[in-house]
Amino acid sequence: MKKNKVWYVTKKLLIFLISLLLLSVITFYISRLAPGDPLVSYYGDRVEKMSTQERAWAEEKLGLHDPITVQYIRWLGNALHGDFGISYKYKTDVLEVITGRIGNTLILGGVGFVLIFILALLLGVWCAWYEDRLPDRIVCRIGTVTSCIPEFWMSLLLILIFSVQLRLLPSSGAYTIGKSDDILNRIQHLILPITIVVLGHLWYYAYMVRNKLLEEVRSDYVLLAKSKGLDKRKILFCHCLRNILPSYLSIMAISVPHVLGGTYIIETVFSYPGIGTLSYESARYKDYNLLMVLCILSGAIVILCNMVAQAINEHIDPRIRANEMTEESEVVKR
Amino acid sequence: MRILRHHLYDGGGEVPEGKSTIGHGAYSDGADKSSEIGTLKNLSEGTVEKPDRADPADPFQIVGIQPSSSTLPAPKKKWYKDKPVFSLLFLAIVIGGCLCCKLIMTKDPTYMDLMNYNRAPDREFLFGTDTMGRDIFSMIWYGGRISLFIGLFSTLISTMIAVVFGGISGIAPQWLDTLLMRLTEILLSIPNLLLVILLQAILGTPNVVTISVVIGVTSWTSIAKVVRTEVRQIRSSEYVIASRCMGGGFFHLLWHHLAPNFISSIMFMVVMNIRSAIVSESTLSFMGIGLPLEIISWGSMLSLSEKALLTGSWWIILIPGVFLVVTLLCMTEVGNYLRRQVNQKERNL
Repeated sequence: MKKNKVWYVTKKLLIFLISLLLLSVITFYISRLAPGDPLVSYYGDRVEKMSTQERAWAEEKLGLHDPITVQYIRWLGNALHGDFGISYKYKTDVLEVITGRIGNTLILGGVGFVLIFILALLLGVWCAWYEDRLPDRIVCRIGTVTSCIPEFWMSLLLILIFSVQLRLLPSSGAYTIGKSDDILNRIQHLILPITIVVLGHLWYYAYMVRNKLLEEVRSDYVLLAKSKGLDKRKILFCHCLRNILPSYLSIMAISVPHVLGGTYIIETVFSYPGIGTLSYESARYKDYNLLMVLCILSGAIVILCNMVAQAINEHIDPRIRANEMTEESEVVKR
Repeated sequence: MRILRHHLYDGGGEVPEGKSTIGHGAYSDGADKSSEIGTLKNLSEGTVEKPDRADPADPFQIVGIQPSSSTLPAPKKKWYKDKPVFSLLFLAIVIGGCLCCKLIMTKDPTYMDLMNYNRAPDREFLFGTDTMGRDIFSMIWYGGRISLFIGLFSTLISTMIAVVFGGISGIAPQWLDTLLMRLTEILLSIPNLLLVILLQAILGTPNVVTISVVIGVTSWTSIAKVVRTEVRQIRSSEYVIASRCMGGGFFHLLWHHLAPNFISSIMFMVVMNIRSAIVSESTLSFMGIGLPLEIISWGSMLSLSEKALLTGSWWIILIPGVFLVVTLLCMTEVGNYLRRQVNQKERNL
């Protein structure tokens, strides 16, 4: 029994590592194949005045001269020693650049995720309770409408209302310059982005909870509980909700990368200094080393979350097939 | 729930009054019994339906009767009931307007009227002008063509990739299938936005076709998964095996035997894909990595909104956005309708 578990974990770990390796190969090749001058992000406008020799020297120095495969092997060797190279734009170690920013994204994504998790559950239960009656219909309608609004347009709308017209909330950044330690100021800057993160994803998951609950309500044990005289609240919360929780947990595990991916766009709209804006910049301006680390980081999170979801499915709730979940969560999201 | 309830009533509607099932045949010899059946029906749905047709005088409550065995003549439905009439109508208006934009436009959408830039909506410029002096009313119809075209074209691309890929993965032996699915997972784990930026850079300067290709190439995985599951279910059916024995090639199989089976289950996703393609295009254009300003689409119109925010000109942001959102909403409604139809069919079988 114990040996089985060890084997299971090592197998998962192996798959994880191989996936990361493949991911790094793919990103490396795609990013180098894309035309664009990485020298620009290193030297700025000076590139245009460079002579051919200077250019050759600069490329040599940054190691851009060799064939892609050689470059990749060198990169991999360095990366395995913990050296991910320097960012061309910031001219410091890549990890340093990222650690400076990742906290902001974690706050935005983390708080947003927790809010989505709780609110979706509440909203789903609320809808299932009032199934097909007025509250449910109203919530469903509003939910469908919000799920149709592109995130960037909703951000624009909120900025227009709250920043431009009412002048209540700031429209960009993570804090006012010089007030980076002021928590209240930071919270003010967070309100709008978090609202968008939550609104953008909330309905999808709430709807899923609602549908799962409604399916559950129709099963036979509910009838039994009802005939034994349990009241509606107790059946819904103690029996039905409990039965859907494992599948909800695994869906939420898969949703982590979606929420994270959503923050990328929102961060750029609000020019919020997180890794979203960073990766957007690095992809546009060919900051190769930075791009690689960011891709691998987010890829690792995605693969990890998928594995967690799978594990939840296999171990906590053996009723559900591993395949089913991933498909469901993909359907509307993409 | 909508699906379930819908189905329930529909089942009732198909059976002639009073002669529904064997169980009821015994009961229903007269009209006076119909109220009893009604009570049974309502009780059987228990927690779900409110007892709208129950006899209030009946003191007994019987629990535990399956809803499938109870019927009442459902009220006759109007033809437009449950059909997304408004959505279809609006979509028809938008598509028609965009196709015949020459007739509707009051101004030249590409002409930059420097005398009248940033004008609020008035009688001459129905929806106002943008920061470059172009008439928004004309731009909406003119740009809608591009947005809708990108939606359709990229969905065509992604559906084609998805069907072929899903078909291969479904028919292939286990190891190849696992390998292909793993590969898609890895591709999925690259953030979509970054993948789009990089692919766009490879394809060169963005125009309508390259944008569609990029969006199509990055959005096929979810459909492919559904296709694969469906194909795996039917791949060992007799007719598929027979066709293979007679030497039917992969594409013959896919088109003649597999596609008719899974097409209804991916229809909903295809419609949703059109929707998300339009969203992607507008998001990309808004962020400045999609269509340039000269190519008018709903997305590139919105890319001026940063400037509009500074001047507080709400119409530049609001009007194209409302068009976009309402169109997307209508597509969602149509998609949901399709999904309900599919579910019904599966259950009636």
